[in-house]
Amino acid sequence: MMLNDRENDVNMKLAGFFLPVVLFTLWYIFTLDGGVPAYLLPSPGDLASTGIDFAIGENPPYGGTLFVHTMASVQRVITGFGLAVALGLPLGFLTGRIGLARASLDPTVHLIRIVPGISWLPIAMVWFGVGETTTLFLISLAAFFPVYVNAAQGASTVSPMLIRAGRMLGANDLRIFTTVIIPASMPATLAGLRLGLGLSWAYLVLGELTGVTYGLGAVMMDARMLGNVDMVLVSMIFIGFFGRISDIALVKSFRKFGLLKNGDRI
Amino acid sequence: MKRTNLSAIGISKTFSRTGSNDSLPVLDMIDFAIQEGEFVSILGPSGCGKSTLLNILAGFEPADIGHATCCDDPIQAPSPERAVVFQSPLLFPWLHVQDNVMYGLKQKGISKADSEELALKYIKDVGLEGFEGYYPSQLSGGMQHRVSLARSLVLNPKVLLMDEPFSSLDAQTRYSMQQLLLRLWEDNRKTIVFITHDVEEALLISDRVCIMSQRPGKIVEEIKVTFDRPRDISLTSSQDFSRLKAHILTRLLS
Ligand SMILES: Nc1ncnc2c1ncn2[C@@H]1O[C@H](COP(=O)(O)OP(=O)(O)O)[C@@H](O)[C@H]1O
Ligand SMILES: [Mg+2]
Repeated sequence: MMLNDRENDVNMKLAGFFLPVVLFTLWYIFTLDGGVPAYLLPSPGDLASTGIDFAIGENPPYGGTLFVHTMASVQRVITGFGLAVALGLPLGFLTGRIGLARASLDPTVHLIRIVPGISWLPIAMVWFGVGETTTLFLISLAAFFPVYVNAAQGASTVSPMLIRAGRMLGANDLRIFTTVIIPASMPATLAGLRLGLGLSWAYLVLGELTGVTYGLGAVMMDARMLGNVDMVLVSMIFIGFFGRISDIALVKSFRKFGLLKNGDRI
Repeated sequence: MKRTNLSAIGISKTFSRTGSNDSLPVLDMIDFAIQEGEFVSILGPSGCGKSTLLNILAGFEPADIGHATCCDDPIQAPSPERAVVFQSPLLFPWLHVQDNVMYGLKQKGISKADSEELALKYIKDVGLEGFEGYYPSQLSGGMQHRVSLARSLVLNPKVLLMDEPFSSLDAQTRYSMQQLLLRLWEDNRKTIVFITHDVEEALLISDRVCIMSQRPGKIVEEIKVTFDRPRDISLTSSQDFSRLKAHILTRLLS
């Protein structure tokens, strides 16, 4: 490109603001009196006051309940995603490096992966009933695949020369695994974790829609039945917001623990 | 008496491509003995099997026929006693300079305080004081090679195996790296096997040059290099140097 990097960065940031501003303006104009009726699309102002009431207000049934619902959802994401990571990372690293592990695991995993995650919903409801366990099952299942696949991909593509360097410096098999292969696979692994975390939020909503008492997905479903479009949209916004926060936190923690080298652009 | 520190005894190696009957003989009955503290260059055209030979000496690959020994023990696996400096620095990109240099010490189980002290000393020796906290991606190519040298030397290896370590550097940086290597070598007289395809480099730095033939590589001549040390770049314009260089080039081309 002709622009230098710094100019480019500033321009990119400005470019990022353009579309939201246009959409927001259109939204504002269309929901003025006499425009789109509020039961289809509430105005920005109405939505904002509903959101504030949800967070810190007192109007029943939703006023001030954001915290409990968020905690319930976050807990499910952490548990479900945590399970996926606890299984996906070690299995991924093993299949990435050990022929026998790959031969015995990979075909089956990819066979299961072909089945769309959503289609596990009915059978999960038969096995686990509606609610909590089904939600955790769906999240773990969906998040497992990207975590596993990317960890395996990262581990299998570590430069053999880097491994030689580790060996001649005196590292044994185990140390090669922990001090060369795992750190060298981190960029790919992090990509998998981010995909998995994103899917966790998606499947959280799917699970919660089936019927739990607390949770942002539950609020969404509940509000829809009451015809409260504002709350449906507000819940969507908060889910997106927390999803993004969790993604940023994941990347930040990787940087903090030195798992990403400096200058890696994410 | 100086002991024989590293030797190759009738080493041959043939690569066969998987799934075909083609076979590529790369090394043909390589024999040599390198004394303790000797600086030996192995000089040969590219593709003649120099890296293959070095990999066998390092213990990365086995020989098909014959074997290599280090201090009379057969070489079977890589070991920090035979530290390698590769053609590219191959630092661990997620570790900063100091941790890269301390990596091998950690594997040895040396205490943190001791390895820190050692690492800082060697980082200083290679002229990188103040760069301890830099990541490899923040260093120039020459600086990365210095770190790579430091991380091998810090282990106090018996033998240093170097595979065209400076061939990717510009002429100036290469010269300063050669001088650095010689200065460090004067201090502790490690046994060094230095692989290169550059005749001048071989003559400037080594005690002895082993000339390899085209593939399949065999050692066709060994030449003692007796120029006084320390050797200066001006040596390259002397008559003796030019004559030796011409002789070696003729040997390489034949
Ligand atoms: N692992 C390998 N498998 C097959 N052929 C190889 C392998 N390593 C090297 N070779 C071949 O052996 C020959 C010598 O390679 P190498 O030792 O790297 O040469 P040099 O270092 O002298 O340039 C080359 O023709 C190369 O293609
Ligand atoms: Mg080579």
